[in-house]
Amino acid sequence: MRLLSQMRLIRIIVFLMVLAGLSLTGLQAQTANPVASSAPVITEAPAQPAQTAPEAKSEGLPAKAPTIFHIGPFPVTNSMLVTWIVALGIIVFAQCATRTMKDVPDGAQNFWEFLVESLHDFLAEIVGADLINKTFWFFATIFIFICFTNWFGLLPGVGTIGWGHQTAEGFELTRPWLRGGNADLNMTFAMACIFMVMWFVWALQSNGIAGFLLHIFGPKGDNQGAMKYAMIVVFFAVGLIEVMSIAFRPISLSFRLFGNIFAGENLMDAMSHLIKEPAWARAAASIIVPIPFYFMELLVGFVQAIVFMLLTAGFTSVICMHDDDPHAKGQH
Amino acid sequence: MLAEMGGSIQVGLAGLGSAIGVGLVGMKASEAVGRNPGAFGKIMTIGLIGMAFAEAIVFYALFLGGH
Repeated sequence: MRLLSQMRLIRIIVFLMVLAGLSLTGLQAQTANPVASSAPVITEAPAQPAQTAPEAKSEGLPAKAPTIFHIGPFPVTNSMLVTWIVALGIIVFAQCATRTMKDVPDGAQNFWEFLVESLHDFLAEIVGADLINKTFWFFATIFIFICFTNWFGLLPGVGTIGWGHQTAEGFELTRPWLRGGNADLNMTFAMACIFMVMWFVWALQSNGIAGFLLHIFGPKGDNQGAMKYAMIVVFFAVGLIEVMSIAFRPISLSFRLFGNIFAGENLMDAMSHLIKEPAWARAAASIIVPIPFYFMELLVGFVQAIVFMLLTAGFTSVICMHDDDPHAKGQH
Repeated sequence: MLAEMGGSIQVGLAGLGSAIGVGLVGMKASEAVGRNPGAFGKIMTIGLIGMAFAEAIVFYALFLGGH
């Protein structure tokens, strides 16, 4: 009975989350007019060539998330709303699950303990035991948040309920109320930037400023005599290249996650609109055709969260680990 | 006489490289499982991660370049 009540609690929480999101935007329905013109939401970096088609029909998802309401002068887009809902949901779920801690956990507490413990063991192998206590909060949060945000975008209703207008072939949705949180480049870039700041902080804490510069530009290995001076020049050049590679990291991290999730949302959008005539086939195909792609998106969302976490942990371990410690590297 | 090529050469080449990369990871992963069937879990993990990295390059070309 305990398990049943906890499962019911979880279901209630998820349902309330989606309801809260929808009603929040519905409250603004009087103030925000639906887009009257048939011009699609213009994007700055559209990946679809159909944007240049003669008829202004929106094919696929816009790269720029549409604004749904304003808080004062501050516009709120649908993906921002989704990230708030997911964050709130995770916090509420974690708090409810750990309200009464038991020695032999079951249900939600068991799930959280399993998740946190597996992440902790996994990361301790990558970053090392001395760094894990300082950095675990970041990597675990990144993984949990990205994974749940990606999966939230697969719930029915996310991306398919919202404002739009009538066209010749049925209703066309231009401003959905909810949209996958990581299908917005702002979100992924923000996470990548936060990681770069933390990486810098941890690198300085681990090495000090001189040690940090030496780690990047300093000669490694021992050379004697004239070779040593030549190698200093070589390692300095290598350090410059490394600086460029480090500067590229926020871009690569953010675009990898954005591209995967945005392309996935686009793909499912395209798959649901694959068959247009006749009308009964269109309705049936819009449900059946995307089903295998939903499974792929489940996997992709999970894998991208792992990859983001792995990469950030790997970068941190590279800058903070010292080669002269024989036991610093992970042992297998 | 060259036939007309439509579409984007940039994304096409990036997609070619990415697809070949992912295929290579898959090829080596299946080979490894064939040699050591017991290590399937570890191989699948590392194979999936390798494929995610190889796939990311095409997103740079898609979103970072051109129109």
